[in-house]
Amino acid sequence: MQPLLASPLLIPLATAAMTALLWSRPVAQRVASVAGAAALSIATILLLLEVAGGPPLVGRMGNWPAPFGIVLVVDTFSAIMLAIAGLKALAVAVYILGSGRASRDRRGLHPLFHGLLFGVCGAFATGDLFNLYVWFEVMLIASFGLLVLDGTRDQVEGGIKYVALNLIGTSFFLIAVGLLYGLTGTLNLADLARTVPTVGNQGAVAAIGLLILVAFGAKAAVFPLFSWLPAAYHTASMPVAAIFAALLTKVGVYAIIRVFTLVFGYDTGFFGPMLTVVAMATMVTGVLGAAAHYDVRRILSFHIISQIGYMLVGVALMTPLALAGSILYIVHHIVVKANLFLIAGAIKREGGSFALGRLGGLWAAKPLLGLMFLIPALSLAGLPPLSGFWGKLAVIRAGLEAEAWLLAGVALIVGLLTLFSMVKIWNEAFWKPQPNPHPVIPLGRMARFGTYAPIAVLCVLTMTIGLWTEPFAALSVAAAEGLLDHDAYIAAVLGPVQAATLTETTP
Amino acid sequence: MPDALILLSSIALPFLGAIVAGLLPTHARNAAAWLAGAIALSMLAFVWAAYPTVADGGVVRHAIPWMPALGLDFSLRMDGFAWLFAGLVSGVGALVVLYARYYMSAEDPVPRFFAFLLAFMGAMTGVVLSGNLVQLAFFWELTSLFSFLLIGYWHHTAAAREGARMALTVTATGGLCLFAGVLVLGHIVGSYDLDVVLASGERIRSHALYLPALILILLGALTKSAQFPFHFWLPQAMAAPTPVSAYLHSATLVKAGVFLMARLWPVMAGTEAWFWIVGTAGVATLLLGAYVAIFQLDLKGLLAYSTISHLGLITLLLGLNSELAMVAAIFHILNHATFKASLFMAVGIIDHETGTRDIRRLSGLNRSMPFTARLALVAAAAMAGVPLLNGFLSKEMFFAEALSAQTSQLFLLQILPLAATAASAFSVAYSLRFIHGAFFGPDPTDLPRTPHEPPAWMRFPVEILVLACIIVGILPAATVGPFLDMAAHAALGAATPDYSLAVWHGFSLPLLMSFIALTAGVALYIGLQKQLRSAPDGPPMLRSFDGRRMFERAMVFLSWRLARTLERLLGTRRLQPQLRLLVCVAILAGAIAVQVRGLGPGNVMPSGIDPVLALVWVGGAACAFGAAWLAKFHRLAALILLGGTGLVTCVTFVWFSAPDLALTQLLVEVVTTILLLLGLRWLPKRIDNPATRQAEVVTLTRRLRDLTIAISAGAGMAGLAYGVMTRSPPELLAQHFLARAYTEGGGTNVVNVILVDFRGFDTLGEITVLAAVALVAYALLRRFRPAPDSVEIPEQQRDQSAYDEARPDRSEGDTVADWLLVPSVLTRLLFPVIILVAAYLLLRGHDQPGGGFVAGLTASIAIILQYMIGGTHWVEDRLRVPPLRWMGVGLLLAAGTGLAAWFFGRPFMTSYFSYLGLPLLGEVPTASALVFDIGVFALVVGATVLILIALAHQSVRGQRAVPRSSEGRAAATRVAGDD
Repeated sequence: MQPLLASPLLIPLATAAMTALLWSRPVAQRVASVAGAAALSIATILLLLEVAGGPPLVGRMGNWPAPFGIVLVVDTFSAIMLAIAGLKALAVAVYILGSGRASRDRRGLHPLFHGLLFGVCGAFATGDLFNLYVWFEVMLIASFGLLVLDGTRDQVEGGIKYVALNLIGTSFFLIAVGLLYGLTGTLNLADLARTVPTVGNQGAVAAIGLLILVAFGAKAAVFPLFSWLPAAYHTASMPVAAIFAALLTKVGVYAIIRVFTLVFGYDTGFFGPMLTVVAMATMVTGVLGAAAHYDVRRILSFHIISQIGYMLVGVALMTPLALAGSILYIVHHIVVKANLFLIAGAIKREGGSFALGRLGGLWAAKPLLGLMFLIPALSLAGLPPLSGFWGKLAVIRAGLEAEAWLLAGVALIVGLLTLFSMVKIWNEAFWKPQPNPHPVIPLGRMARFGTYAPIAVLCVLTMTIGLWTEPFAALSVAAAEGLLDHDAYIAAVLGPVQAATLTETTP
Repeated sequence: MPDALILLSSIALPFLGAIVAGLLPTHARNAAAWLAGAIALSMLAFVWAAYPTVADGGVVRHAIPWMPALGLDFSLRMDGFAWLFAGLVSGVGALVVLYARYYMSAEDPVPRFFAFLLAFMGAMTGVVLSGNLVQLAFFWELTSLFSFLLIGYWHHTAAAREGARMALTVTATGGLCLFAGVLVLGHIVGSYDLDVVLASGERIRSHALYLPALILILLGALTKSAQFPFHFWLPQAMAAPTPVSAYLHSATLVKAGVFLMARLWPVMAGTEAWFWIVGTAGVATLLLGAYVAIFQLDLKGLLAYSTISHLGLITLLLGLNSELAMVAAIFHILNHATFKASLFMAVGIIDHETGTRDIRRLSGLNRSMPFTARLALVAAAAMAGVPLLNGFLSKEMFFAEALSAQTSQLFLLQILPLAATAASAFSVAYSLRFIHGAFFGPDPTDLPRTPHEPPAWMRFPVEILVLACIIVGILPAATVGPFLDMAAHAALGAATPDYSLAVWHGFSLPLLMSFIALTAGVALYIGLQKQLRSAPDGPPMLRSFDGRRMFERAMVFLSWRLARTLERLLGTRRLQPQLRLLVCVAILAGAIAVQVRGLGPGNVMPSGIDPVLALVWVGGAACAFGAAWLAKFHRLAALILLGGTGLVTCVTFVWFSAPDLALTQLLVEVVTTILLLLGLRWLPKRIDNPATRQAEVVTLTRRLRDLTIAISAGAGMAGLAYGVMTRSPPELLAQHFLARAYTEGGGTNVVNVILVDFRGFDTLGEITVLAAVALVAYALLRRFRPAPDSVEIPEQQRDQSAYDEARPDRSEGDTVADWLLVPSVLTRLLFPVIILVAAYLLLRGHDQPGGGFVAGLTASIAIILQYMIGGTHWVEDRLRVPPLRWMGVGLLLAAGTGLAAWFFGRPFMTSYFSYLGLPLLGEVPTASALVFDIGVFALVVGATVLILIALAHQSVRGQRAVPRSSEGRAAATRVAGDD
């Protein structure tokens, strides 16, 4: 069991090291990269099958018992996130095959890509707050490297903002971890869940909690800390933007959900209203930001922000249904949003631009691409029979049942505006006649496969979640129940012997 | 036939057909039409097969478990009411397919059209057959989606694109509201199942959430059925091909709204709220639509507004809270579908044969297409409510209901019959205009095409529908009677009232109203002749009151102005404001927490302050302050001061007996300072130019604000830390680490054991960070072009080169070599010594201060020294450290050590230690952690060397580089985000 638990971390680590060793051989790098991503996605799916619905799986790093050593804890929620990350990794690794620019291979695209996955998987799997900080750092630096890979002026400018804002956010996190350690004497999440409610100085706990929320919120690009995202995402190359869109902010969301259910979940009265306000403001500002833009990449970037809001509804309301809805929404969003970025890359290659004003006529020229755009785009807007419909259904229903009328209403209106801007892309890029016809270079066979195979698979997945939602919904419900069942988590991590060990080792 | 087969086939067939049609070649018009026709007819057959069951008042049901997790089944349910609609959808569908085969041009991708049409048919069937409400909302949204694709079929015109977008936005929004309403309704009832919902009328109407549910559901229904004030999308949707309008905008899509209201009528109607909302919307739409229709110049526009008006009539009937009105509504749904579909098709024929739909250009078509003219005449008469046609019957019922409406508001009872008569007169007027304008009058001039009769099969669907109008109009009870009865019973259950379907009810008030309306309509049309001939498009008085424009303005406001404003306020593209915001949010967060919860008092008294340490810290703080002060224009000085701060940190570590940390800190300081100094050379110059400064006041204000923010953040953090530290420390992990480091970790250096064993996993992550940093630095610097003002070679270097060049016996670089002869010999001698020290530090790390990280840094310093003295070329010719390989191997080694534990059946990263007897060195403590440490060592060396190479090559390249443009400088200034 142990190997399976650690494999989501070891596979990307090994792949990163391998691709670094193969630095000057791009083809070998690509093969290693796809193989590593495939292995990761298989391992994570096996892990999900193993964990789903059951108690969390705990791996003690170095065989040190919690809370003294670092533990990996994979519960259903973590396993879902890992599986979806593995899937995305594979999709993007294949997409890179189709994206020409071999020069990126020589600048460390693959080692950094797998380094990023290492960090992401680590963050999803860890059961230790400081360890989480380490993964944040891994992710931050790897993603910065990916962002500025082409070294263009736009990229460096966006990259500097990205790294500066995130470094400050991460520092807040580190400070908060230190303070929390000072209050509780532990870094283990399960142990924190046990001790934090008993700390005498709840004012300090609340302040630390909010500091952590600020740090994670900056990571997740919530209102008002999202400005790094639109500054940076649209400059990245499309495969990189796709993996960013799929995973980066979601790690922040994951961390918020994990920590604010497990550690601070006892104090919903304090954090709940704040999270609700943040969630609503995030939804609205994101979608309005998208409306003001006419560049496919910028529109998509702003929609990421907007949908982060939906994902926070669960932890804001802290009901099983709301959490399940959030989780379903995250899964749907990762599948759909990364796919839209991949499609944006395809639009650029077929239509020659990202700017809506310069695009057109793609529906007549490339009906299949049109169809493949419509599926994730309408799914994003929450139309049936696509995955987004169910995510939104669960979130809004949870809002209604918790009698959070404003929240539910905002979620509905934001859905409308999302639809509006997706249709804007559709009308402009696909329906409108091509304004300035230009010669299109036909793609080679490898490029076509690399570009369209991941898109098609993700479209099918979106449809599958939409039409055969049951397994996904059931998983989300199980994950939500797991998130709320603190005792099971604590027991799995600390075990019944924990008390004995403590007394024995205390001098 | 089994229920499951009937229901599932009715739903699945059209969707399957849509997929098949979508796969057909782009110009396979006939194949697609045959396919679509066959599917529509077989759906009709399946629906007919269910007739025996539903005719007896039975219900055909089938459910498949769909989402037990959310408590949802995929459930299909057909009672008499749904049967009627399913028949309408498939029957009219078949006719439209036949019509579209002739209407659509062979040049368009017709299979795609039929694919969307079939998919729409499936979605619409799904709406009427849904056995639970969530599923209904699901199909409801699907109808919006496919109607969007159908309306925008001719997407090369902007009108089609805009019309499609507006239709989708309005109906999908309504759909979302409906969806929310359904969820609330489900919340009230405790189930989404239609049977359960229909059985809990009392509960629903008396529930506190009744009104929100009602409003949300009605928002869905009214937008779909184009009711005031949401009617404006329907005329825009007329940009669709005419078969789409005939199908969607007469018989199906727009009927979904009234279908839903009728479906939920037994449980949601009967309240004042229902009466007011539904009734008001209905009466306003009825009048407004009919009035506006008179003034339309486009025949399809006229029909669109007429549709709006008739839907208003149906809505009003539903809003009257009377069972008889409900029956009339169902009846009018049927009648309207038949005459309006045939009228749309007739307009399509006119458009197809003449090339225009403009009422001003058309006239006298009676002579060139007499048969079509007669068909249109009959259908238009039905629309106007002329006796012996079906429209007359339902209108009579409507008049009767308008007269007998029950409400507490008495004045309404007087208004309602008036409104009904007026709307009816309007409808006579626009019907007259339609017929008279298009078919009578002088022969048309300057038409794009010469008009003639269409192909016989294109007219056939119109003939069928017009025939239905006539037969139902003459023999209502014998033809439509049983079906209507069945539908009414299914919708109303036991409450179905007695009613009579007959053409002649004797002289009565409704008949008088009909007569008045007919006369008034004719008179109105004649009276308006002059105005109509010259008037522009759109009705007088209401021209400026345009729902479409208001909607567009709202959308522009939301999606453009508001968004832009928000972006201007929040979305600054500069870094400083964003950083400021981040810090301010953190301060606010802390303030909120303290405000709400209060910062509890500490229970430990702070110990006294050691004056020496305090002095050291004052020095450190001064250094930090100075560094910040000088950072803008004196980078070197700032860097030196920064080093001072680092040293103070180092001293502090020593003070608190952490020699390991102090050692590491010292080496990190050395290495980073050197690397920074190397990089400093390439930064663009910053000259303190008084001319570019802002006004004194502005600068001062900005600085004051920033100072306030900085002080609050610092004070907040200090306060929080103080609060935490003045509490008695809990049982820290530290005690555990101290107790176990040697006994279980095999090392006496607790810090090292923590790093490589207890929390070795963190270290694994951190070394990955280091590797990534090196890669990023390398990747960035590869493409970096320094600012032009820093490309210049330093004076000293120039002088030396000039000196070398001037003498024939010297080659370039000799002077430098001479100059640095003594240092280079020394450093080269020093190299093995430093490496030995590094090895020593590495090996003893587990027990004494040292370890892989420190050792790696030490070794890097040795290499850096060589670089600095020997020059890039000299070192790289001799360098045996391929940095990428060292990094890769180091990473694999570290991970591999962890992995090895698996082979011993232990968890990942479990360590092992013992003592190894080595020759010469004797007993050496070896832990598997040592291998891990070697990995760390290799990685640190590799990463440092990689960064070093990247920087060094900058100067190799920089000497060659010719300043190309000022681009680099501009970028650099911008990245720095000048505030």
